[in-house]
Amino acid sequence: MTADVHSLIGAYVLDAVDDIERAAFDRHLRECPACRLEVDELREASARLAEDAWSVPPPALRGSVMDAIAATRQVSPEPAAPKRQPPARLRLLSAAAAVVVAAGGAVYAVQELRVRAEHTRVESLETLLSAPDLTVHDEPVTGGGTVTVAVSRSRDAAVITLNAATAPGDGRVYQLWTIRAAKPVPEGTLTAGETTTRQIVDGIGDATDVGVSIEPSGGSTTPTMPLAAAVHL
Amino acid sequence: MADPATSRWKSAADDRPDDLLPAVARGDEKAFGKLYDLVAPRVHGLIRRVLRDPAQAEEVTQEVLVEVWRTAARFDPARGSATAWICTIAHRRAVDRVRAEQAAADRLAFVGRAAVDIPYDEVADEVSGRLERQQVRRCLHDLTELQRQAVTLAYYQGHTYPQVAQLLGAPLPTVKTRMRDGLIRLRDCMALAS
Repeated sequence: MTADVHSLIGAYVLDAVDDIERAAFDRHLRECPACRLEVDELREASARLAEDAWSVPPPALRGSVMDAIAATRQVSPEPAAPKRQPPARLRLLSAAAAVVVAAGGAVYAVQELRVRAEHTRVESLETLLSAPDLTVHDEPVTGGGTVTVAVSRSRDAAVITLNAATAPGDGRVYQLWTIRAAKPVPEGTLTAGETTTRQIVDGIGDATDVGVSIEPSGGSTTPTMPLAAAVHL
Repeated sequence: MADPATSRWKSAADDRPDDLLPAVARGDEKAFGKLYDLVAPRVHGLIRRVLRDPAQAEEVTQEVLVEVWRTAARFDPARGSATAWICTIAHRRAVDRVRAEQAAADRLAFVGRAAVDIPYDEVADEVSGRLERQQVRRCLHDLTELQRQAVTLAYYQGHTYPQVAQLLGAPLPTVKTRMRDGLIRLRDCMALAS
């Protein structure tokens, strides 16, 4: 999984990922100081691209920004990074805290989604992404692309994000599944020509796997083998 | 545009964003004013390029600059320049706005809004990094066609990498790779020039 997540580094720096992928990559960054360095360097380069888009704002904006900051409270600095390695137990605690922070970052994007008037869906996605036990898995899809599954057992929910490179031919479609007690359960069917979806599974229970199959239009009651992607949770 | 803008520019030229941010973090509104003069055209230009709609660009520019004020204490100079930090916030906000809109498909709501064109401040434009812009363009020109398309479609248009893949008719893994190696090449080209 790590290698696959890491391949997102360019897209991550360019903000060309969705919020689930961003959460996965943020997690990856905390485990990989070298990657964080690369992100910082590439951000420095991408920010230079803004120089080519120079445009002076209307003069009145200055006054309204100055008024706004006068009425805006500033955040406190983050606690300074510890100089020495803290004891293992502390490290574990801060790792757990870091997961919450990463999920918090994703929540911002999710809050923007509220505009979409998808209240119920978004509420549960937000709750899910802020779960302290969120784990993110991803696997390649046959024919290119990725399926990402973010699971929280404590929230009893998962979100499946499919980003396939191509749609199945001949009017066939992608269908999502979970495996529960060794039995496949359908979790949603795409329409012909669709390559991307995000599906929230409310009640992930003890599901052990997530699968993506290629089915006739409308979906099937059992998955057709071989699967286009399989994720073991 | 003669005097106030020019003199603001001259006094601002004594400072760099990296020197100003720590003072901003301590609540120094005057330092923030200087920082505004230094970075607002870049922030606004980037956001306007991504969003296109001048009224929305103005709104998001204000949000971003207030966010810079609000979170100045979180800027970590060990991780990069103040300008990159600010541009990262600006780009992210602009892209979030694009995505929220695409999803809502409510672009129509903005059509009725008066799109006032923005007076272009030529003084500031002349003083500003004309050389730097030339360098950015030259470095972009050094990329392969696919690298350049992948990077600019994402950065300037706010597309996701699956959308870029679709626009370019290229496989997803190729697009991800081109975004990364395109940025690496830009980084190396710019480091060489500065």
